[in-house]
Amino acid sequence: MAKPLWPATAKGIPVTDPILSLHQLTKTFGPSATAAVDHLTFDVAVGEVFGFLGHNGAGKTTTIQMLITLAQPSSGTARVAGFDILADPAKVRQNIGYVPENVRLYDRMTATENLLFFARLSGIANPAARVAEVLTALDATALGPRRVGSFSKGMRQRIGLAQAILHRPKVLFLDEPTSGLDPMGIQLLRDVIARLNRDDGMTIFMNTHLISEIAQTCTSIAVLGQGQLIYHDRVQAVTERYRDAAAIEALYLSLEPQGRLAPNPARVPT
Amino acid sequence: MSVHHITAQSLRLVLREPTVGLIVALFGGLVLLSGWLGWQATATVNKIYLDAAAFLAAAGKPVPSNPVLDASPLILLRNMSVYVSLIGALAAIVTGNRLVSLDRTAGALPLLASRPVSPLAYAVAKIAALFVLIAALTAAAAGISVITMLALPAIDLAPEDWADLAGFFAISALYMLIFGLIALTAAAGSPSESVGLLIPVALWLTVMFILPALTLNLTPTATLNPISAMVPPPDTTFFRLTGWALGPLSLSEIYGTTAAGLLHFSPANWISRAAIPPAASFTLWLTLSGLLALRALIRLPKVSGDYHA
Repeated sequence: MAKPLWPATAKGIPVTDPILSLHQLTKTFGPSATAAVDHLTFDVAVGEVFGFLGHNGAGKTTTIQMLITLAQPSSGTARVAGFDILADPAKVRQNIGYVPENVRLYDRMTATENLLFFARLSGIANPAARVAEVLTALDATALGPRRVGSFSKGMRQRIGLAQAILHRPKVLFLDEPTSGLDPMGIQLLRDVIARLNRDDGMTIFMNTHLISEIAQTCTSIAVLGQGQLIYHDRVQAVTERYRDAAAIEALYLSLEPQGRLAPNPARVPT
Repeated sequence: MSVHHITAQSLRLVLREPTVGLIVALFGGLVLLSGWLGWQATATVNKIYLDAAAFLAAAGKPVPSNPVLDASPLILLRNMSVYVSLIGALAAIVTGNRLVSLDRTAGALPLLASRPVSPLAYAVAKIAALFVLIAALTAAAAGISVITMLALPAIDLAPEDWADLAGFFAISALYMLIFGLIALTAAAGSPSESVGLLIPVALWLTVMFILPALTLNLTPTATLNPISAMVPPPDTTFFRLTGWALGPLSLSEIYGTTAAGLLHFSPANWISRAAIPPAASFTLWLTLSGLLALRALIRLPKVSGDYHA
C-alpha cells in the first residue's frame, strides 16, 4: 500500500504555547457563498517562522487579511497574540506588523517621512530615533532621505518591512515577501527574517507559494488548498519524511489547484 | 492621537500636489487681482475727485461729495464672491478629492488599516485636514482683502463693515467646505479616481450654471458677473415655480445673495422665492455634506478601497 503523501495525522499539530490560534475561520464571497477560506483550524507557536503554502487563489491572502483584521470572517474566529480578532481588533493591530505582497507607500515622500508617519500612528515615543534604528538594522540608511517613488521593488520591500517592525510587533505577517525580488533581494530578506525571529523573538507568518522559501526559512508549514487546510507539520518532520527539497517540491506541484493530490501520486519521488 | 497624525500627513501630502498648488495659486492670484483692481479704481476716482475738488474750490464753486465715500467700500470686493463661487469651489473640490485619492492611489490603505487607527479617526482626520486647508485659503484671501481695505485712500471702514467683511469670509469658507466635503464623499465612494473627481465637478457645474439659469434666468456668462447675478428674475409663473422648488438646491445663488448682502451690493427689492429660507438651505447643505463625507470615509473599504486592489 502506497504511503500517504500528506499524512492525515499531520493536520493541525499540537501547539502548547500558541500565539496564533485559528478556530473554524471561514470567509465566503458572493451570493453563492463561495468559500475562499474554509473552516481553518490550527495553531502557531510563539517564535515560529510559519510558512503558509498554497497555489495562487488558495486563500492565503484572505486568511492573512482576516488575521490582521483587514477583513471580517464570515464565521469562526482567531486569536492573535492573545486577542480575539473580532472582539479586540485594535489590540490585535497593536501587536502585529504587516508587509503586503506589493508594498506601496506615499511616493512623493521620502522613506524616512513614510516611516515617521507609521511610527507616530503606532504611538512610538521617539519616532525619529526608532526609524533611524530600524533603517540601520535593515541596512537601509541610504534609502531614508530618498523619495519612495524612485525605489525598486526590493527597496520598497525593505521599507515595507521597516514600517512593519517599527513598533516591535509580536507577530509579523508577510504576504509573498519574495515575490518579484532578485536573488540578492531574496537572500537579504531571508537574513532579515531569520534575524528578527532569532534576535527579537518575533513570530513570522509568511504566505508563499515557493517550496524553496519554506525549506530555507521556516520552522513549520501549513498547506492550503481551495481554502482548506491540507497539511500542517514542522519543517523538520517534512524534511525527515521526504528525501530532499526537490521531492517536496514535486509533491507540492502534484497538488491540483483544488487542493487535492494528483490522480497518480506514485510518480512523486519519496 | 492618530487623528492629529493623519491630518498632518494629509496636509503634507496635499501641499506637495502640483494640481492643488496650481488651483490654489490661481485663486490667490485672482484675489490679489480683485484687491488691486479695487484699490486702483478707488485711487483713480479719488485722485480725479481731489483734482476736481481743488479746481472747483479755487474757482469758488461748491464742491460735491466724494463719490468714493457715497457707497460702501465693501462693494469694491464684490468680484470676490464670483472668485469664491468659481475658483474657490473648484480648489475645494480638487483638495477634497486629493485628500482621499492620494491614499487610494498610494495603496497605503491596507497599511493604515493594519495600525490601531479606527475608521472614525481616519474620517475625522480627513475632514479636519480639509477644514484646515480651506481655513488657510480663506485666511489668505481675507488677509489680502484687509490689506486692500486699509490701503484704500479716503476710506475708513466702520466696525459693522469689518463685521460684514468677516461674515463674508466665514460664509465663503463654509461654501467652499461644502464642495470639499462633497469631493471627499465622492473620492471615498467612487470605484475610480476619475469618477471621484467627475461627480463633484458635475455637481459644481449644475449648481454654478444650470440652476441659476432655471431659477434666475441667468445665462452662464451672466453668472460670472456679480452685478447681473443680482438682477431679480422675471415675474412669471415658470420662474416663480422654479425659484420656489429649485431655490433650496441652487447653492451658488444662496451663496451669491448672502455674499451680496454682506458686501452691500444687494438690490433693495431682492427677495428669495425659495421654499426654504436661504440660511436654512445653506445649513442643510453643510450638515448633509458633512454627514455624507463622514459616512463615506468610515465605510471606505481598506482592502478593496485601494485603486490597485
